[in-house]
Parts: sequence; C-alpha cells; structure tokens
Amino acid sequence: MTAVNLMLVIIVLSLLAYALLAGADFGGGGWDMLAGIGRDRPSAEDQRKLISASLGPVWEANHVWLIFVIVCTFSGFPSAFGDIATSLELPLALALVGIVLRGAAYVYRAYGEGASLPDRWWSRIFACASVLTPFMLGVSGAALATGKLGPGSSPAAPFQAPFTILAGLLAVVVTAFLAAVYLCFDASLHPDTRHLVAVFRRKAIYAAVASGVVVLVMLPFFYRDAPVVAARFTDRSIPFAAVSALCGFGSLLVLWKERYLLARATAAVAVIGVLGGWAAAQYPDLLVGVYTAQQAAAAPSSLDTMLVAMCIGMLAVVPSFLYLLKVFSAPVIEEH
Amino acid sequence: MSGVDAARIETAFSLSFHILFAVFGVGMPWVLLYTEGRWLRTGDPNWYALTRKWARVTAVLFAIGAVSGTVLSFEFGLLWPTFMATYGGAIGLLFTLEAFAFFLEAIFMGLYLYGWKRLSPRAHWLTLWPIAISGTLSTLFIVFANSWMNDPVGIGVTKGKITADPWAIFGSSVGWSEVTHMFVAALMCTGGAVAGVYAWGMLRGRRDRYHRLGLNVGLWTVLGLVPVQMFLGDWSARVVGATQPLKLAAMEGVYDTGSHVPLTILGYYDQNTHKIVGGIPIPDGLSLLMGFKTSTVIQGMDTASVADTPNSAVIHLAFDSMVGCGTLVFAIAGLAVLTWWWRRRKGLTPRIPHTKLWLWAAIATGPASVIAMLGGWEVTEGGRQPWIVYNLMSVTDAATKSGGLGWSVVATIVIYVGLAAALLLILRKLATGAPAELSGKPEIESPTAEEAIA
Repeated sequence: MTAVNLMLVIIVLSLLAYALLAGADFGGGGWDMLAGIGRDRPSAEDQRKLISASLGPVWEANHVWLIFVIVCTFSGFPSAFGDIATSLELPLALALVGIVLRGAAYVYRAYGEGASLPDRWWSRIFACASVLTPFMLGVSGAALATGKLGPGSSPAAPFQAPFTILAGLLAVVVTAFLAAVYLCFDASLHPDTRHLVAVFRRKAIYAAVASGVVVLVMLPFFYRDAPVVAARFTDRSIPFAAVSALCGFGSLLVLWKERYLLARATAAVAVIGVLGGWAAAQYPDLLVGVYTAQQAAAAPSSLDTMLVAMCIGMLAVVPSFLYLLKVFSAPVIEEH
Repeated sequence: MSGVDAARIETAFSLSFHILFAVFGVGMPWVLLYTEGRWLRTGDPNWYALTRKWARVTAVLFAIGAVSGTVLSFEFGLLWPTFMATYGGAIGLLFTLEAFAFFLEAIFMGLYLYGWKRLSPRAHWLTLWPIAISGTLSTLFIVFANSWMNDPVGIGVTKGKITADPWAIFGSSVGWSEVTHMFVAALMCTGGAVAGVYAWGMLRGRRDRYHRLGLNVGLWTVLGLVPVQMFLGDWSARVVGATQPLKLAAMEGVYDTGSHVPLTILGYYDQNTHKIVGGIPIPDGLSLLMGFKTSTVIQGMDTASVADTPNSAVIHLAFDSMVGCGTLVFAIAGLAVLTWWWRRRKGLTPRIPHTKLWLWAAIATGPASVIAMLGGWEVTEGGRQPWIVYNLMSVTDAATKSGGLGWSVVATIVIYVGLAAALLLILRKLATGAPAELSGKPEIESPTAEEAIA
C-alpha cells in the first residue's frame, strides 16, 4: 500500500472512531433536549443525569479523534486542506460554534453550581449545540462529494443541495441512535438507573426507524446531487450498504430481544457500513472535481515521517484509550 | 474588512484566548502532582482539599482549552489556506506529534478527574504523570511549529512539495529558546494565579492552614522560576538578534544601524521620526548586552523598507510590558528571599510575613506573569511581521481571500467574551468558601500564629 493510501486509511479509521465515540456523546446531548417531552417526561432528570454521567470522563478524549482527523488532513494533504476548509467555511464555522458551546456548557453545568447562568440554560445550550455539530459535520462531509465546491464557490454552496441537508439530518438521527443504544446498556448496569432502560430502548428503536427513513429519502438525491460518487457507490459500496442495512434491522431485533451489549455492536457496525461505503465511493477524490488524494498529498518524505510518528504514537494512545474505556465501562453516577 | 485583516484579528483573538487556558493545562498537572503527592505522604486533609479544589478548576480550564484549541486547528485552513497548502506538509510532523500528546493528556485527564473512586490513591496520583508530561510535550511541539515560522530551517523541495528536515527543526536554537521560555512562563502563570487566589482569601480574613499551603505552593513556584526565566529570556533575545535582527530592532526601537546602541526603557516609538519618545536610555546598553562590548553593531530598521519592517510602536510596548512585569516579579522574589533569610535568622515564622503588602505582592505575581506571557507572544508574532514564514511568505499572501469573514470575527469575539464572563463567575464561586473536604474538621489556628501573621 502506498503512503498516501495508508494515510487515507488512518484518516477514515479515526473518523469512524470519532463517529462511534463522540457521535454518541452528541446524540446524548440531543436526548437531553427531548428528555422532558412526551411520555418519558417523569424520568427527565434521571435521563439527563445518566447522559451527563456517560459523557463525563470520556467526551474530551473522544473529541480528540476529530482533532486528529483535521491534523492528518492538513499534514498529509496540505494542498487540499485550505480549499476544503474555505469552501466549507460556513458549515465548519457553525460546527465549531457547536463544539465550543457544547463543551463549555457541559463543564459549566457540571462544575458551575449555577454561578453563571442557571443549569437549565446551560442544559439548553448543551443540547442545541449537540444537535448543531453533527448536522454541520454531516453537511460538510456530503458537500465534499457533490463536486460543486471549489476555490471561489459561494459560502452557501454546501447547503444548496437537498442531499447535503439530508446527510446532516442523517448524522443527527444516527448519533441519536448510537447514544440511545449505548445508554440502554449503561442504564442496565445500575439498579438506580434500570428504570431508564425501557425509556432509551424506545428511543433507540424510534431513532433506528428514523435513520432508515432518512437514508431511503436521501438515496435518490444522492444519485442526483453527487453523481460521480454515487456511481462509484454502486460499483464498490454495495457490500458496505448491505452490511449496514442488515445490522440496522439486526439492531431492531436485538433491541427487541433486550440484548443491549450485542445491540452496541450491531449499531456500531451499521454506522461503520454507512461511513465506510461513503469513504470507498469517495476514493480517490478528496474534493470531487478539484483534488484527488494523490494530487494533494504532502511530499513522500514528509508522509513517511508522519506515518512512522503515527505508528509510535498509536502504540501509546490505543492502549491508554482502551484502559480509559475499561475503567469507565460503567458510567460515573456518584459524585466525582 | 479585508480577508487578511479579519484573519489577523480572529487569529490574534482566538490564540490569546486559547493560551490563557493552555498555560494552566500545562502548569496545573505539575502543581497537582506536588499537592496530591504531599497528601499521599502526609495524609494531611489540607493537601487533599487543595488537590480536589484545583482538580475541579483544572477540569473547567482544560475543557475550554480543548475546545478553543479545536477552533485553532480549523482556523489554519479557514483563515490561512495558502500557508497550509504550502507549508502544511513541512510542519505536519509537529502537529501530528502534538495531536498524540494532546490525546494522551485528554485520556489521562478523564481518568484523573473521574477516577477518584475507581482507582487506588497511588494509581490516581500516577495518572498525573502522563498528563503533566504530555502537556509539556504539547508545548514543545506547538512552540516548535511556531519557532519554525520564525526561523524556517531545514527546508527542501521534493516533487514540487516543500519539506522540512525534522532533525534541523529539533536542532534549532530558536526552537529550544522559545520552547523553554514558554514552558517556564506557563508554570509561572499557574503559580502566580494559585498564589494570587490564596493571598486574596487571606486578605479577606481566611488565614487557615489551607490558605497558607495554597499560597506557599503558588508563590514559591512563581518566585523560584523567575530567575530561570530571566536567563531564558536573555537567551531568546540573543537568538532573535542572530536570526531575526529586525524583530530585535523593533523590540528596542532601533532605527539607525550602528554601534553604541542604547537600551531604552519605556517610551513610545514614533514611526515618523524613528525615535523613542519619553524613554529612559541606558547608553550603549543594547550593544553591551548583545555583544558584551560597546562597539557591537546592531542592525536597525533602516536596513529594510517600511513595508518589510514590524510595527515597532506596538512591539516595543509589548516587549517593555513583558520585561517590566518580569522585573516586578523578580524584585518580589529578591525581597522574598532576603526576608525569608532575615526572619529565619531571627527564628520568626511564617518566614514571609502575611502582611497586607506581602499579600498584595503575591496577588500581583499572577496578573504580572500573564501580562508578561501575552506581551511575549505579541513580540514573537508581531515582531515577525509582515511575514507568516520569516522571509518566505507574507501574511497577506497566506490569508484567505474570502470577503465574508467580518461576521465570523464578531461571532468569535461575542462567544468567547460571553464564555469568559461566565467562567469568571464560576471560578469565583469555586474559589470562595471552605472546601467540602475540610468542612467536617475546621482548621483552627492558635492565636499566637494569627498575631505572627498580622
């Protein structure tokens, strides 16, 4: 495998880690907003507490996967990075607003004791920012595939195809789906939270169905708005799509059977299928019609040094990360 | 607003905001290592209470540092696309390494902040080591990237792409002088802030052991490091003189190249007359400092066109703020050492009397360190102008051509100012009141000790 392709693999794997780990943190924020609505209203505060506890020790480490994706992109493919960032100026700036407000609102609520704004306000900001960020990142990812971006394209260009808007929506419902599935298992671990299992199970099923519906609505627009990538999707990504669909339905079945650990696996694989299918279809383009990965790559010697550094770095990071996940496999509800 | 103006304002603002938090992310873990270590060894609940308090503060500061750092990584592309397209690959290694360092920091920060009950006390203390070390390495890698912009060493071209030899980067004296100066600055800002908070508490009448320990840890950190920092600053100035003579000239407002150049303290550099108005000149000072003899020739700003010269009015002011604040802390440190030695001979405790004047001096070390640190960054960045990569790419060429950035500058400022205001309220709340860990067993001072304090 060439250095360029290896770099792409690392970026895609990091993106997957980001989607599966941080995605669920954002999804949790979305559920925070909906906690007080409908028949689950009586348990709203308990839901918020569990959601908050599930983020606590891990959200910052989960977030670093995004920084890692950005750093790999600008170090590995510097020529494309500037044009990608400037043509996605609007959605990326809004995603940043979401990232900053989500993180700040979370710690301000957790440690602020109401000293600045009432906790209720920070909850609202936390929840809105948690929905805004995946939406904008979804729009940005899909816009790369449309072939309508490039130097000098309008800042609003990423929003001008129904496909990109639907992709943003898909990101929101998929993160909500992941969060609800993960929270089912979290809730089942402790007697105090066990009454929330049924609540999140219901939410997970709704979100799974919603994800399926959004995908079905999105498909025709995908072929219309991103023809180059869609054609490659038909050629290469059908296995990914099939696995994703299978695991999507599988998740419903497993949730029905109340097998929550297994549900985490099927939900994760369903998401991997969607993102993997997109990545395979996007290859070898970074910004369709403007840059392929090869054209945008840094000098071979620079890439080689970075890859060596990454191998060494991952040797330290991956075991530490797994240790973190192991220590906090059950959420920290008690006071920390 | 033009793209380049917007990009400069937004970068300056978001960098300054981020640095304010980053210094505590670098410094606090080292302080916590000490306080929690003392608790493990002595079992003194005051050390435990200090550690718990500062861990909570660190949690908030680290989170804001992390999200504002994310903003910066996006801004490289959003605001400086041409710079990244040209040099992104060359300095990519540094950012990759920094990403790993930050990764480890975030992972172990999660373990530390939430692991009080899930890890043994010793394991919990041990998680601080990777946090402190990787925080320090983050400083190293990021500041090396910055120093490479000041002194782009090891440049080569392969297949039309620019490369930078990592050995040359890590062998650069510009890099090492900048990194060490910044690392010590981070520790000093942390120490000064800690000292300031507890000195403030003591001024308000809370003179228990908890406050005394907090004050001592902070004060000896900042005062102990200031001589080291003076030495490192001197080294940095020499390296700047050798590699970026115009930056040195702008720092000192030197227009005419020549020997017997004075060192001017304070004053305002007038762009039209090329003279410093109202300063106190020390004859031959700069020549002596740079070459140890009065005949040392200093390159002035007359050697470059106005367009290629940094704005000395701003740089001289920033430089004097840094040196002035540093000198203030140095003077406090000197007096503290003399007092300590004097009172030790007399057998008086506490060695540094907790009088109003001394407490105000302790409070001053915090803002002085932070102002010096920000002033230093203005010298580094403003003094490199008009270049983004010294002598290779101008800031104007590097910046985005997008015209619609005005709204983004306004949004950045509004959001950051709002978050900073909320944070101040939260920190004030965190800083006041007895920590829960001590409320069960209040520390009672003997009245004689109270009198010794006053």
